[in-house]
Amino acid sequence: MAAEWIRLYRTERTRKRVTKGVLFTIALIATIAYIFPLFWMVSTSIKDPADIMRDPPLILPRDVNLEIYKEMFGSPPEGTQIPVDGLRYMKNSLIIGAGTMVLTMLFAVPAAYGLARFRLRGSNIFMMLLLVTQMLPEVLLVIPMFIFFRELHFTNNYSSVIIADAALTLPFCILILRTGFLQVPRDLEEAALIDGTTRFGALRRVIVPMVRPNLIAVTLFAFLVGWGDFVFSLSFLQDQELHPLALGVYNFIGYYRIRWEGVMAFSTIIAIPVVIIILALQRYFVTGLTTGSVK
Amino acid sequence: MSALPRRLFQGERAGYLFLLPAAVFLLITVGYPLFDTIRMAFQEVTLGTLSRGERPFIGLANFESVLADPAFPIALRNSLVFTVASVFFQFIIGLALAIILNEAFPLRHIFRGLLLSGWRIPPIVSGTIFLWMFNYDFGFINFFLEKIGLIDEPVRWLLNQDYALLTVILTNIWLGIPFNVILLASGLTGLPEDIYEAATVDGANRWQKLARLTLPLMKPTILATLMLGFIYTLRVFDVIWVMTGGGPVNATEVLPTLAYRESFNRFNFGEGAAISVIMLGMLLVVAVFYVRTTNEEGM
Repeated sequence: MAAEWIRLYRTERTRKRVTKGVLFTIALIATIAYIFPLFWMVSTSIKDPADIMRDPPLILPRDVNLEIYKEMFGSPPEGTQIPVDGLRYMKNSLIIGAGTMVLTMLFAVPAAYGLARFRLRGSNIFMMLLLVTQMLPEVLLVIPMFIFFRELHFTNNYSSVIIADAALTLPFCILILRTGFLQVPRDLEEAALIDGTTRFGALRRVIVPMVRPNLIAVTLFAFLVGWGDFVFSLSFLQDQELHPLALGVYNFIGYYRIRWEGVMAFSTIIAIPVVIIILALQRYFVTGLTTGSVK
Repeated sequence: MSALPRRLFQGERAGYLFLLPAAVFLLITVGYPLFDTIRMAFQEVTLGTLSRGERPFIGLANFESVLADPAFPIALRNSLVFTVASVFFQFIIGLALAIILNEAFPLRHIFRGLLLSGWRIPPIVSGTIFLWMFNYDFGFINFFLEKIGLIDEPVRWLLNQDYALLTVILTNIWLGIPFNVILLASGLTGLPEDIYEAATVDGANRWQKLARLTLPLMKPTILATLMLGFIYTLRVFDVIWVMTGGGPVNATEVLPTLAYRESFNRFNFGEGAAISVIMLGMLLVVAVFYVRTTNEEGM
């Protein structure tokens, strides 16, 4: 009898191990397939230019060649095919990212606090409108915005892009921050208010430190939206001097002879902060995304 | 502060004060443009009329010329094919991955993280990477497919009218995987565990549990994911704009690229707005359908 049980136990254990092994293998293959395009981007950017146009292609670069980064983000040597001032593009992306971040947070923090802390008539409708706003096609907004900014002589100016990006980011940021504020115990805030602090004082000294992780996640998220902006820059910024990185990539592809190592280097520079921030702060975005979209 | 505003903003009402800045900002930056799009769709708005400072009302003329444009039915068809195909495969792959990641096995959190890593990469960058991967001469995909014997000679993915739409769909499926995994995986973690334990005691196997428990219980999440997928895919612009610009000829023209081209290449903003309004109508139909289904199901 006991031997029978041990045998049963062992086969059950083997079965579980096999299942785990199969799941692990499928997940591994899926992850490699999914990550491959990103790997290929980095790999292309650090290959020797002679190795890029090659059949069959080299999967791994022979060695790490950072020439293209030096050329595009350092000082381009005389007589290069497409002289590119990568630092200028990067500066433009940083300005648009930082601007979007500041403008978004300016509106998002009080709004999220208001939604979380007060029982307001109409706050459900307000949240519903936020969700709808998130769903509007960018192309739908870019046309009237262009005309609006044109009348104000605001095109060809970072602010037009920053305002548009902030408008698109704000709903998501409010929704994530609101869940953060909801986690702060109400008593704590009331205690601070009784101590004679003003509401803004309580907000600053008591609540903000408690929602710091959500705050950081949202701030960086807003930055990323501006950092990677394409559609609004494409439509509003005629002056090449103002173009951000994403528009730079698009412009290079228009050239007759594409230098893929350069395009991929630019893409890598855009993607790196995005991937790092998303990986580090996943948790917050995931809760925000799901509370925002699934009732 | 005078007495009246103080009374208005005391107690719970003070909350409105906190919402006000965001509400005003969104009213100006989203509400007004939305209103203006609908208004422009019935007006003649070109660079000419704009510089004269007038926008004459022209009734349905914008819609008539949009519908008369031979590119419009093609863009409409492409939009539907692109959206339905992308959403369908993103969803199937996303669901499979979410179910796998919900099981216990080594390193699953690392896999999960990596599978979401591309979530916010700007679509323009993803489009560019795939433009390179689908390159005819030196692209990785032609090399790989030849290597495993699926094709005999390189395919002109983006240069051939028959394959271009397929190519942008494949790219967009990749783009949508993290979003689908996030939504579906969090739906799975929210399922009640005791029902599964009861099913195990009753001798249900893995597949039975999946078909009889997981999928029915997941129905609200699945519907929401599909609806959001449709809404977010119908509006895709950047990926197509960078990979094909809508071409070759009209092979990958979709409603957003057509609206953009009408507005910013031909400077016929009225017609661009008319196409936007048509898109808005399509989104509305999906939203109404979604709300009705969820209400009927009593969700």
